[in-house]
Amino acid sequence: MNRIQTKLKEDKKLLSIYFTAGYPSINDTVSIIQNLEKNGVNMIEIGLPFSDPLADGPTIQASSTQALKNGMTTEVLFNQLKDIRKTVSIPLIIMGYFNPMLQYGVEAFCKKCQEIGIDGLIIPDLPVDVYHEEYQAIFEKYGLINVFLITPQTSVERINFIDSISNGFIYMVSSASTTGAQSGFGDEQTNYFERIDKMNLNNPQIIGFGISNNETFRQATQYAKGAIIGSAFVKHVSNKGVNNISDFVKSILN
Amino acid sequence: MKLKICGMKYQENIEQVAALQPDYLGFIFYEKSARHFDTVIPELSKSIKKTGVFVDADLEFVIKKINTHNLQAVQLHGNESPEYCEALRHAELDSASHKKDKNLKQFQIDEKLEIIKVFSIKNEFNFDVLKPYENVVDYFLFDTKGKLPGGNGYTFDWNVLNNYPSTKPFFLSGGIGIEQTLDIKKFKKSKASKYCYAIDVNSKFEIEPGLKNIELLKEFKNKLSNNKMNYNVNEKGYYGEFGGAFIPEMLYPNVEELRQNYLKIMAEPDFKKEFDQLLKDYVGRPSPLYFAKRLSEKYNTKIYLKREDLNHTGAHKINNTIGQILMAKRLGKTRIIAETGAGQHGVATATVCALMGLECIVYMGEIDIARQAPNVARMKMLGATVVPALSGSRTLKDATNEAIRDWINNPVNTHYIIGSAIGPHPYPDMVTRFQSVISEEIKWQLKEQEGRENPDYVVACIGGGSNAAGTYYHYLHEEDVNIIAVEAAGLGIDSGESAATSVLGKEGIIHGCKTLLMQTKDGQITEPYSISAGLDYPGVGPMHAHLSKTGRAQFMSITDSDAMAAGLELSKLEGIIPAIETSHALAIFEHKKFKPNDVVVVSLSGRGDKDLNTYIDYFKL
Repeated sequence: MNRIQTKLKEDKKLLSIYFTAGYPSINDTVSIIQNLEKNGVNMIEIGLPFSDPLADGPTIQASSTQALKNGMTTEVLFNQLKDIRKTVSIPLIIMGYFNPMLQYGVEAFCKKCQEIGIDGLIIPDLPVDVYHEEYQAIFEKYGLINVFLITPQTSVERINFIDSISNGFIYMVSSASTTGAQSGFGDEQTNYFERIDKMNLNNPQIIGFGISNNETFRQATQYAKGAIIGSAFVKHVSNKGVNNISDFVKSILN
Repeated sequence: MKLKICGMKYQENIEQVAALQPDYLGFIFYEKSARHFDTVIPELSKSIKKTGVFVDADLEFVIKKINTHNLQAVQLHGNESPEYCEALRHAELDSASHKKDKNLKQFQIDEKLEIIKVFSIKNEFNFDVLKPYENVVDYFLFDTKGKLPGGNGYTFDWNVLNNYPSTKPFFLSGGIGIEQTLDIKKFKKSKASKYCYAIDVNSKFEIEPGLKNIELLKEFKNKLSNNKMNYNVNEKGYYGEFGGAFIPEMLYPNVEELRQNYLKIMAEPDFKKEFDQLLKDYVGRPSPLYFAKRLSEKYNTKIYLKREDLNHTGAHKINNTIGQILMAKRLGKTRIIAETGAGQHGVATATVCALMGLECIVYMGEIDIARQAPNVARMKMLGATVVPALSGSRTLKDATNEAIRDWINNPVNTHYIIGSAIGPHPYPDMVTRFQSVISEEIKWQLKEQEGRENPDYVVACIGGGSNAAGTYYHYLHEEDVNIIAVEAAGLGIDSGESAATSVLGKEGIIHGCKTLLMQTKDGQITEPYSISAGLDYPGVGPMHAHLSKTGRAQFMSITDSDAMAAGLELSKLEGIIPAIETSHALAIFEHKKFKPNDVVVVSLSGRGDKDLNTYIDYFKL
């Protein structure tokens, strides 16, 4: 069984953290991952930076631009991660846009992920139908779980389709926004969380976008299996560096 | 499968439809029909079978019509009996097609009158009724059972035909429209279609009863025929291997709403009417097709300029923004966003928003805002809010990213007016269609001036490629028309400062579509360069990527200096100061030799006012 599936079976709410690989410094990748695991984070999304991150707000855009300036590439990231499984055992997901993967070669990319011990991918601009028709077989061949997004505007029919294609979790975007947008959830969001919760989907949901502190983490995990924090964490390492990760994780979980 | 187009009424329209080469054209001889035909059928190509449609008419009446109009087929829509059909089959016919050769005892096979008997199907059908007709008719035709004999405008459940017991070929009819293309393709693969001989269409391709929509028919025909190379978008949103909709889930509902509605809305008569009216009265169309005499003399060939520079706001951009603002209104949107590089599309969008009283937000790279102050001022005067894009390289591609992010954050009330033939499907196709008025006009204008619709060459400059798409559109499948696409080489292809995407680009994904784009080996999108702000886009529309890959279009690249020289030359020879984008297209005459009798149409996509500062700096004027 894939590490993501095993983790989802644990009887607890999950905290997943996103960070941009190569930021703040090119060689921070491994130490960020190790620190996150050590401090009790359950799952990690390693952001492969892209020049034109359409679904991201200013924080992740800026970290991506800086990471690219620092020299981050797909090849560099794979090299940094080659021994990661000697020290880290929680699920690792690569999150990135489709073009860099396409240029690397989708199959070569998936193969490399399997060799390293990556468990899944999140590719916001690879639509579910294209994945289903062209790439699902390749992903499955290399034991990778692909995670799809749903939003408050996603129709019931489409949610059910996405649920049928998924075999890990569904990434529930909290509101119509890019990453790192708002503070706190209102009725509109909680109604949506509740509506999806009641659909009793086959795949558990993990909520992301707009989770930044203990309060929003608790709100989200009241309805979902877990929550993902991205921009708030990127801001934190940007201000405090990679050695104060425990402060951040504690502030979320306590 | 054959195609029958039924319910023809108007002379000119009949000729236009006949030009599409359908296999059958139907004329309804039934007074109660809104498509009743009571005039003369114009001379048609011999390959088209003229079909008379009758409803329980007297045999004499039918025979008279066959003889008068030289009909090759008769379609019986009422309760005509097998005996009636038999009698018709043996009737003495006197028309040119059917006149018996005195020396022959029977008709020659290909001159035989074809008899088509219609049966209407609701959700089930008793096929036993066909039996008595088996030996007296040539084809069956199945349409939808409704109030009227035919023309009810909806389809029946084609699965009923799974039980078709006969081997007689049949026509499939009843409410078939462009939206059934996929269903027809599926049907073709199913068992039920084994004896399906032809598709019969009528009301779903009409502007009003009897008046057929030529464009829609053309498209339907293209979509149904797989054997010819297709340069238009397919039903999945691809041009060959390029196109598609690579968008985050957050954008899916917006793009899907547009995809499901854009063709339907564009085909609505009052949409067309409003669009055409605004193009005429507000934009000032048709734009002239001007024979550039002195330029022609200099290059010893016949050069025509399609004067898009004379449009309101000074370029072709307005054709698209007018179309999209009408689309946005019909979709119930109240807020408009757009991206702009040099500011031309921003101004065109701000203009139509002012015209329609809609809120307008234009994203523009911070660097471009500084470079293009007059256009920023124009947009502000027109009531738009100009938002600087501060991310990435702070130019056009980043402005596009920001506009897309805005759309993600405002999914319900906002329409995004993309300015070029780029973006996720259906944008490239929609923008191309709105711009296709350019080649539509060239056709009749050239016919007036040269006596032929098709030039030997059509030429346009390409950034994203919207003016080019519009200039080529009606010529894409005309094999005698050569297509030339002109990209900006900047300081030279190998200089590292270029925007020649077809040469330097690789297949990848930019702004929601798969196309050719300039990128690093690692798949990061790079910043192109050209002296012309409208051509320095790192990608190219997916249609153009397809035209490049298939070799349908010849791609040329022109450097800054050659373009500037061509701009100055046109100013001095013809008294027209072109936009620097357009100057690239004009520069090809120094690089490519045309024959004296070649007719070369160049899209003069925009006027040079906006570029005056660049011209002044460059030529030290």
